[in-house]
Amino acid sequence: MVGIGYRKDFAADFAESNDMQPSFIEVAPENWIGVGGYWKKQFQKALEQYPLFTHGLSLSIGSPDPLDFVFLKQVKQFLRQTNAVLYSEHLSYAKCNNAHLYDLLPIPFTEAAIHHVANNIKQVQDFLEERIAIEIVSYYTPVAPELSEIDFINAILQEADCDLLLDVNNVYVNSFNHQYNAKKFIEQLPMHKVKYIHMAGHEKVADDLIIDTHGEAIIDPVYDLFAFTIQQLNRDVPVLLERDFNIPELIQLQGEINRLRDIKQQILQPASYANIY
Amino acid sequence: MQTYIDTQAYQSQLARFCRTGQWEPIPGVHVQHVQQYRRLVYNVIDDMLLNAYPLVYACIEQEEWNELVQLFFSEHNCQSPQVWYMPKEFYLFLHKRQHPLLQKYPQLLNVMEYEWAEIALFMMEDIAVTYTTFGDVLFSKLILNPEHCLLHLTYPVHQKKVNTIHAEDKSCFYVIGHRNREGAVLFTDLSPALVRMIEYLAMQPLSVMQLIQQLENEYAMQLTEKDKNAVLHFFEVALQKQLLLGFSVSSEKKVFE
Ligand SMILES: [Fe+2]
Repeated sequence: MVGIGYRKDFAADFAESNDMQPSFIEVAPENWIGVGGYWKKQFQKALEQYPLFTHGLSLSIGSPDPLDFVFLKQVKQFLRQTNAVLYSEHLSYAKCNNAHLYDLLPIPFTEAAIHHVANNIKQVQDFLEERIAIEIVSYYTPVAPELSEIDFINAILQEADCDLLLDVNNVYVNSFNHQYNAKKFIEQLPMHKVKYIHMAGHEKVADDLIIDTHGEAIIDPVYDLFAFTIQQLNRDVPVLLERDFNIPELIQLQGEINRLRDIKQQILQPASYANIY
Repeated sequence: MQTYIDTQAYQSQLARFCRTGQWEPIPGVHVQHVQQYRRLVYNVIDDMLLNAYPLVYACIEQEEWNELVQLFFSEHNCQSPQVWYMPKEFYLFLHKRQHPLLQKYPQLLNVMEYEWAEIALFMMEDIAVTYTTFGDVLFSKLILNPEHCLLHLTYPVHQKKVNTIHAEDKSCFYVIGHRNREGAVLFTDLSPALVRMIEYLAMQPLSVMQLIQQLENEYAMQLTEKDKNAVLHFFEVALQKQLLLGFSVSSEKKVFE
């Protein structure tokens, strides 16, 4: 299964043409909760055709601020109403000092943060009555770290007993920005916890910095890392193509979807794949 | 080992930096790269506000816009988890602040009110209403589209190019915005008498005859035949534009929800 991040920018084209045929769509509940009128109609049409995966933005699971249970209740209703397959969020914080920042800030890799974040994830899972998948985010600087990124992530996954959303592009971006080996990083992740994969493009803004823009096509080294990830997993996991800006013709996005499908198929079903050709 | 208080303090410092641009050193931070967070976060806010308020942007100088955005973002704690709703907080913040630019550009608050009303109507949740399309405008009870909002403007921001509006344009403008079945937002000018009748209709379904009677009773006056025809015409058009959805259900068969 390869899905696409459903965006308002291409909603009309997507509804009217057959140029893009994902296996599912993904949205941020924040962008659709309490929305009616034109957008609701468009979204309903898409929901009639595709299963929905969700990827939250504002829950701010790594925030020093308390969790917003009023908002979480709306999320829960949204997940039920839309029959969402899965809810995922970011291992980061987007609210602090009682203010939303609407972007993903990096959590300090500290022992104290592990317990705080794991406790938040557990509370969210209890409240939603389902497991959630947590995404490793791209980050541009460490913040007062005590631990390595991998130890920090693994400790949270274990203590919170949640699933992992493995964004392969984020691992690539982080390995470049913080100079480590992306494959070794992936090898150290608990593969049995990977519930969902994200793939996207990025932008290199300096010799030593890549920004995770979701505004470009996926580059070859990230496809390679994806292939490596599927080999490590050795099982089928839903994969999402994220494209938020600079959106090309849908046929081009379908090209990326096809390439992701092919890579997965080649690795997971080498025998049957060989038979077809 | 850091206590959670330390960790929290560093998170807080980073968030403050993103909002204000004022840097207080945090251990382990890459000082060049951390600037990206300030840039990215600021751009999200600036883009959202630009999209929401293109007319405000057209009204004021670029410098003034930047100052407003910066002031808002550094001093206002955004409360909505939904970023599309954040521009409403911008409008309320400037209103509450009585920002000096509101004196320099007296139409500014009205421009914001008007632009936000359009977004709010476009995005608002659907409200289910029961009505029928069979009826007579003059005698059947009318069902007002609940997806509407009344604006009382001091400047004609809905009629004139906003940067050509001056102090002498000041007057009283009543406008109603509503969302039609296709989801488009339409604005219509109202006279004070029509505003009152819309308010009656918002309370309960009434026919044009009843609306006229109620107005005449309330203000102890008589509408001329010409006025009555104008009222009837307004409601006929309102029905076509879906400001009125239809008629109250009594014995009629066809019902929409
Ligand atoms: Fe992602």
